[in-house]
Amino acid sequence: MSLIDDFLARWREYRAPGYYEEFDYHWTMTVDLDRCTGCEACVTACQAENNTPIVGEEAIARGRHMQWMRIERYWEGEYPDVKLRAIPMFCQHCDAAPCETVCPVSATYHNQDGLNAQIYNRCIGTRSCAVYCPYEVRYFNYNNHHWDAPLEQQLNPDVSVREKGVMEKCTFCIQRIRQAKDAAKDDGRRRVQDGEVQPACVQTCPTEALVFGDRKDPESGVSQMLGNERAYTVLEELNTDPSVVYLKKVEADA
Amino acid sequence: MGVSIVPTLRVLKPAAMMVAVGFVGLLIGYFANAAFFPGTTPVQPIEFSHAVHAGDYEIPCLYCHTEARRSPSAGVPSVNKCMGCHAIVATDSPLIREVARYYENNEPIPWVKIHDLPDFVHFPHKRHVAAGLECQECHGPVETMDRVTRMAPNEMGQCLTCHRDSEVEHGIDCLTCHK
Repeated sequence: MSLIDDFLARWREYRAPGYYEEFDYHWTMTVDLDRCTGCEACVTACQAENNTPIVGEEAIARGRHMQWMRIERYWEGEYPDVKLRAIPMFCQHCDAAPCETVCPVSATYHNQDGLNAQIYNRCIGTRSCAVYCPYEVRYFNYNNHHWDAPLEQQLNPDVSVREKGVMEKCTFCIQRIRQAKDAAKDDGRRRVQDGEVQPACVQTCPTEALVFGDRKDPESGVSQMLGNERAYTVLEELNTDPSVVYLKKVEADA
Repeated sequence: MGVSIVPTLRVLKPAAMMVAVGFVGLLIGYFANAAFFPGTTPVQPIEFSHAVHAGDYEIPCLYCHTEARRSPSAGVPSVNKCMGCHAIVATDSPLIREVARYYENNEPIPWVKIHDLPDFVHFPHKRHVAAGLECQECHGPVETMDRVTRMAPNEMGQCLTCHRDSEVEHGIDCLTCHK
């Protein structure tokens, strides 16, 4: 009996909100929608960087597409007077993430850097996280994927190739964060400086709409952006406390 | 006409099939996983002796496995590196002649990998060498082995125990190794 009590006590301790309050870094991304043109360069960069498979026509028809990052398009007005609103949507790395609380095997959890981690080899594929995610940014491997030669040569060796039955999502390019930390350690520094980490999407964005950095550093580029009066988070009413902050598009006639 | 054994066999047939399939599965599983058990000693294409090189002649590990110092992979030395010494040293030995043949044919020696981690584990040799770990802590006393045996179980428990004991900062975070 005491064993079960002990287990339950640990379980509650782990599940209690706020168990990850002490962040070492707090990686944050800002998306300036005024700069975003919806060109999807970030989507392509993400696909290339993170070994995301090309699932094929049939899978897409069944709603089994795989893109860690997508551009949501909203058309406003009647033709010919239409306006396009493009919103890049990817894992929001919520500090109070609904997906983390439902995973029965803790394959997804919040780490000390404010990242919503997804551990592929622990995932058993219940897909409950995808159900709970209000942003619809978790993607499930319904099939084993395969890269036609010579495409397998461009796979990123720093990123695991996911197997069938595993959930996956944006990691804020954890391999690049690890690499930057590695380089910082080589230099004898404990912390990564601002600008040393750039996820693939941020690096690629031609209009520099995306900014990535550590929110805990008040001097960082991303902290400067957070003070902007246009800043908002998506689905704020759900209290998920996302780490991705959007800057509202400036309207000419508003 | 006596009792026929055929009906009995007919009943036993599925069971026998199951046993046969199970046995074949066990055999395949054993040989496919043999590489992952500690204590395996695969036969290498050339009988290279670590006992002679690292033991008797005390050549440092990092002299040949230089990449361990600066990259995630420790790296297997190129044939070129072997010939760096063996163009002059022990050129008459039959084993060295084999190495020289690979060198002349411009072919790599197909060494058998002994310490192999699953693809979802990202172990950087560089960080561990920089932290001052001895190679032997995971690879065992390679300098006494003629043919290298896999010593480390290379299971997650081994990594976590060491990361806990040496108080690596955030060392037991999953994203440290899995990404």
